[in-house]
Amino acid sequence: MKKGIAMTLAGVLLVAGLAGCGSSQSGADNGATAESAIEKYGSDTLKLYNWGEYMGENVISNFEKEFGVKVITEYFDSNETMYTKLQAGDAYDVLVPSDYMIERLISENMLQELDLSLIPNLSNLAEGVKNLPYDPENTYSVPYFWGNVGLVYNHNNVDPAVIEEQGYEILRNTDYKGTIYVYDSERDSFMMAFKALGYSMNTDDPAQIEEAYQWLLDMNNTMEPVYVTDEVIDGMINGTKDIAVVYSGDATTILSENPDMSFWMPSEGTNLWSDAMVIPANAPNPKLAHEFINYILTYEASLDNSEYVGYASSNQEVLDELSTTTFADNEAYLPRTGYEKDEVFVDNQVLKKQLSELWIKVKATK
Amino acid sequence: MRQFRSMIYPYVVWLAIMVVVPMLLILLYAFTKEGNSVTTFRFTLENFTRFFSDAVFLDVLKRSLIIAIVTTILCVLLGYPIAYAIASGPEKSRMFWILMITMPTWINMLVRTYAWVGILQDDGLLNKLFGLFGLEPVKMMYTTFAVVLGMVYNFIPFMILQIHASLAKMDKSLLEAASDLGANRWQSFLRVTLPLSLPGVLSGITLVFLPAVSSFFIPKLLGGGQYVLIGNVIETQFLTSGDWNFGSAISLIMAIIIMLSMYFTRKVDTDPSANGRSE
Repeated sequence: MKKGIAMTLAGVLLVAGLAGCGSSQSGADNGATAESAIEKYGSDTLKLYNWGEYMGENVISNFEKEFGVKVITEYFDSNETMYTKLQAGDAYDVLVPSDYMIERLISENMLQELDLSLIPNLSNLAEGVKNLPYDPENTYSVPYFWGNVGLVYNHNNVDPAVIEEQGYEILRNTDYKGTIYVYDSERDSFMMAFKALGYSMNTDDPAQIEEAYQWLLDMNNTMEPVYVTDEVIDGMINGTKDIAVVYSGDATTILSENPDMSFWMPSEGTNLWSDAMVIPANAPNPKLAHEFINYILTYEASLDNSEYVGYASSNQEVLDELSTTTFADNEAYLPRTGYEKDEVFVDNQVLKKQLSELWIKVKATK
Repeated sequence: MRQFRSMIYPYVVWLAIMVVVPMLLILLYAFTKEGNSVTTFRFTLENFTRFFSDAVFLDVLKRSLIIAIVTTILCVLLGYPIAYAIASGPEKSRMFWILMITMPTWINMLVRTYAWVGILQDDGLLNKLFGLFGLEPVKMMYTTFAVVLGMVYNFIPFMILQIHASLAKMDKSLLEAASDLGANRWQSFLRVTLPLSLPGVLSGITLVFLPAVSSFFIPKLLGGGQYVLIGNVIETQFLTSGDWNFGSAISLIMAIIIMLSMYFTRKVDTDPSANGRSE
């Protein structure tokens, strides 16, 4: 047994050695140093869990320099992946989940209340992201990007008048068989079907769900759609397909890269979504997290973010500026607000599970 | 000897924590469902009846098995001649070719599969090449062809290495003896080489079939979201719908199918002493 102990000890030493290698110094050159950061915030490391390709080129490095800290970013590709990791006990300082997921995190007490006195830049918030239904007073969250979901189409091959007239139904128009991308997410696909049928996208009426399921099945069986997520951006830039269901921010990128593409904001209504920064209840460094959230709302950081990523900024000044300069001719950049048929997703676990089950069945039907 | 025996305890503990406990958890999840306020879970066979009573899931299972079988057959057909060619070369070239075959596996599988997207897509490398010869672009992405290609590409090294290992350790004097006794080259291959390399082929089959039947990112990347295999259904249960019970039940069903197929593969292996598992 002595050998066993010795081996365990060796293991512990090895792990400790590796951990020692992990700690590193931060490259602070103008004033703020790691030491002063530790003094001020209790730590010099911020753990950020964000969507992939969702941050301006210099935002992180500028933040690190200004505050003498180090930011460790991890990426997720769906709210559910993020939730699963969070549930498994991983600790982060800042997350950027979407509306319905924030609602869920709040209801499960997984977030901490923000100290708004530490986020003076909250006054920069754009009109469109104020008083959002899932967190009207910004008690837990501060919006990051926002937008809606629409159709990007190649106006050389698809007549704008047809898309105007048919709306989402164009995804079941066999004239365009084999030329469509559909976003691979149960909520957005069912949103489309519900809206096309004239229902609320938050409905839990079994008859309406069944009808939407049949709508999607019909599309799946007659149109040979390709279900993608981020691949839709490159695919449409290269003109691989003629019609695609796309998030408005991605549409902005597509439209600025490929002049043949146009954006159509569905008249049947769409999902008015927002992603917002929150601090989890188990965040190791909430003070620095507040500093980061405040920093993202500054003009410089918001401009870098929005201009680089193409999603609508939560900073009013940046939104006004970009929609009249860089993205002036880009009909996808500025999200539609105040449209009666647009809705925000409401968290509903039972519905979500049901739709997820139905969606994999739609995709699996050949 | 007894002294050394105590040294295996850490490994036993390790195995128990990393292998046995997770397996038991899957078993527990598979046979339970979320309970009410009194008990946290209750035992049920619902997850299994749900799977087997749904034509869509059975269809997915069938599709996954067919894709895995096709992949395995292609790996044998392509892998055997390659392994044979390598094994019959001189020592130096053997080392070189084995290195060439192993080298790509040092790079993450996800990255290598992504590379195929760039090669196969509509305006990708291959289609640009076709364009040089005035050929029309061929649609390859998001097809069964792309998925099978991705799987064969990723898993064929396992097959080649296994077959090569059993061919390389074969006693060459047996072939001389065969020809002394009047067998031509074809006959001595069929009667001597092939039977002796069979254990390698069989363990190659297991090593290819296993990952092929449960892969979820190759169909997702090369087949698109509409290319749903059983691995994708399991992934969805865990990541999107959060139904761990149903996901565990499907995993268990797959584990049983794989165990059965391994059992039958082993049965074909007539000579248990010549088990080609050695590298």
